[in-house]
Amino acid sequence: MSEQLASPPAVEMTLTERGPAKTGTAPDEVVIAISPAFGDQMKRKTLHGLAHAAVIREFCAGIEEEQVKARIVRVWRSADLAAIGFDGAKLSGSGISVAIQSRGTALIHQRDLVPLAPMELFPQAPSLALSTFRHIGKNAAKYAKGDSPSPVPQVNDPMARPKWQAIASIYHIRETQFVRQGEKAVELDVEFHT
Amino acid sequence: MLDKTDNTTQSTAGDQPATKRHKRFEALEKRDVNQDGFVKEWPEVGLIAMGSPNDPAPAIRIENGEIVGMDGVDRADFDLVDEFVARTAIDASVAEQMMAMDATEIARKIVDINVSRAEVQKIFTGLTPAKIAAVMDEMNVVEMMMGLQKMRARRTPSTQGHVTNVKDNPVLMAADAAEAGLYDYSEIETTVGMIRYAPFNALALLVGGQTGRGGIISQDAVEEAMELQLGLRGLTTYAETVSVYGTEDAFRDGDDTPWSKALLASAYASRGIKMRFTSGTGAEVQMASAQGKSMLYLEIKCVMLSKGVGVQGLQNGSISCIGVPASVPGGIRAVLAENLVTTCLDLEVASGNDQSFSHSPFRRTARTLMQMLPGTDLIFSGYATVPNYDDMFAGSNFDCDDNDDYLMISRDLKVDGGIVPVSESDAIAARNKAARALQAVFEELGLPRITDEEIEAATYAHGSKDMPDRDTVQDTKAATKMMEDGITGMDVVKALGRRGFTDVASNVLEMQKQRVSGDYLHTSAILSRDFKTIAAVNDLNDYQGPGTGYRLDGERWQKISDVRQALGPEDI
Repeated sequence: MSEQLASPPAVEMTLTERGPAKTGTAPDEVVIAISPAFGDQMKRKTLHGLAHAAVIREFCAGIEEEQVKARIVRVWRSADLAAIGFDGAKLSGSGISVAIQSRGTALIHQRDLVPLAPMELFPQAPSLALSTFRHIGKNAAKYAKGDSPSPVPQVNDPMARPKWQAIASIYHIRETQFVRQGEKAVELDVEFHT
Repeated sequence: MLDKTDNTTQSTAGDQPATKRHKRFEALEKRDVNQDGFVKEWPEVGLIAMGSPNDPAPAIRIENGEIVGMDGVDRADFDLVDEFVARTAIDASVAEQMMAMDATEIARKIVDINVSRAEVQKIFTGLTPAKIAAVMDEMNVVEMMMGLQKMRARRTPSTQGHVTNVKDNPVLMAADAAEAGLYDYSEIETTVGMIRYAPFNALALLVGGQTGRGGIISQDAVEEAMELQLGLRGLTTYAETVSVYGTEDAFRDGDDTPWSKALLASAYASRGIKMRFTSGTGAEVQMASAQGKSMLYLEIKCVMLSKGVGVQGLQNGSISCIGVPASVPGGIRAVLAENLVTTCLDLEVASGNDQSFSHSPFRRTARTLMQMLPGTDLIFSGYATVPNYDDMFAGSNFDCDDNDDYLMISRDLKVDGGIVPVSESDAIAARNKAARALQAVFEELGLPRITDEEIEAATYAHGSKDMPDRDTVQDTKAATKMMEDGITGMDVVKALGRRGFTDVASNVLEMQKQRVSGDYLHTSAILSRDFKTIAAVNDLNDYQGPGTGYRLDGERWQKISDVRQALGPEDI
């Protein structure tokens, strides 16, 4: 595991800031909201070693499969997943967002819900495969189109806690150190390299 | 790092040079313990079990009978938690006297069999959080266990079980609740996979639990408003999942304050429902809100806050954050210390052991012995009475497949672990009766049908994999309607009575009456099979060394001794 965390990610991406994120007007877009350190800090990998770039690529692919546009924003004001997802949903033209923290915890949010009650929550990051992230993107796009897809199936691993809880805490604490309080979310362009 | 040309490298199948490995280390890496996650201390953010360099030094300042400074912070700078603790949990009239005592001296009084429980408690009414942390830091785990044996409130130890399943199947849940009753759990707790099943889960535990043994109390850990409503309706008979935290930030993350939690506690008390708070080491650091303080120091604030609110008890022992203290040095010692602090502040302790915490059977057992050997009010909170794959609290430290191991440890050491052996035929009979009783209640209340096939499956099931699927859409609709229709515990009594389950009806009725008498609101209250309250009032722990306190003997020791596995001369 330590080796997996130490080696560089298999896929890389360049994230370029394009100024403050605007509230979208296109009803056919889903915002991908990423946490303060996601993609360019913390070894650019999730808790169990998935490249951040690969995760974003799967989110985009899942959304675009449904002929919906993906737009990436970074939320600076909080490392809390619910806050990131809720901010993303408010910026989204469809009102739907997917959100992810550096450790890989993810959700689908909608702007009319209360912040702590997202549409779908994926709390066990180590159980999420790349195909799950694609499915999350696809479901978000379906919600954006007004469909009611079945929730993305999840694995419940009762032994995830002993293996991952402490490491997940360190991820969250480290990510919190990148938070810029009071700073607005920014629009990002992404370019993938392999 | 070794050079690639070094003669200690060897070629592997893929012709990649690799470091030559010591085969014992390779074998060790495959062991269960190395599936667990371990991390180094990081005191700056509070990833440290006890004694963070950022923990304050103990101090108190009192002016005109009021606390104006605590542990180096002036009252004007108190956060919400400090304010609440200073106002409600420390007796300013004795604080200066108690704070003047040396931490080592207080620690010795906890261990000393010649010092009474009452005397230690009197001292703790005048201590600040940092002082209590300093006292704990003087003690090793054996001394802490000595302390727990003396300081727990109820003389008779007991335990709690989880009764859940991944399908939220109510028939299986009722059968499992009945079996838990036979094992003599005092409390059973459920929660949901699907939130809309919450009313059915409460109903299954009420009917199944009272079939297994009269007086077992049951709760349904769900969102706070629903949990309260189920209690008010008499569908549950206690509550425990009301969480408190040691920093203001962590409280705010959950949209709460100590005052909002106190209000909720009062709502339960006003309707005669037993309730306790929940907290535990590691929660604040996991939420990145520990402010560099040690896990135990913050947890001590939670215990004091619970005392200040006036609830009768607290569930702690890290609980759902156990992976955090368990990963750092001395973490399991800190978890024991938080249980001990709870008892020193005269609260009931439901002492954890309730979450999957290690892949290693050795670590799992060692962790549980800390509470099992001295005995606590509820050693587990709770033990998975079902297979861990069905434990919807994300798995417990022990599950139903560990029952014989746990009972043998109890028999080996002559220690009461809170449960007794059960015969297979008794278990089958109780499971079947509970499933049939629930079938009758469902029919009487117009809820979706429970088939005979389901009853047969539930009677013999190991877990939900052995159950046929139910129509979950129909079930959850009916559960919602059941709440809209205002169904209460009394409707359940009537339904059972009409269908001839007179003994179960009578037990459910007795549970409704408990809420009127309110006797089981006393600290550490549980109910006997004939609904007599056993609490710190009429069964106060009087341990003061050999010859005093609780002793496992008589009929109960016979039950634990006479296991089905043991051979007698006549068998050979």
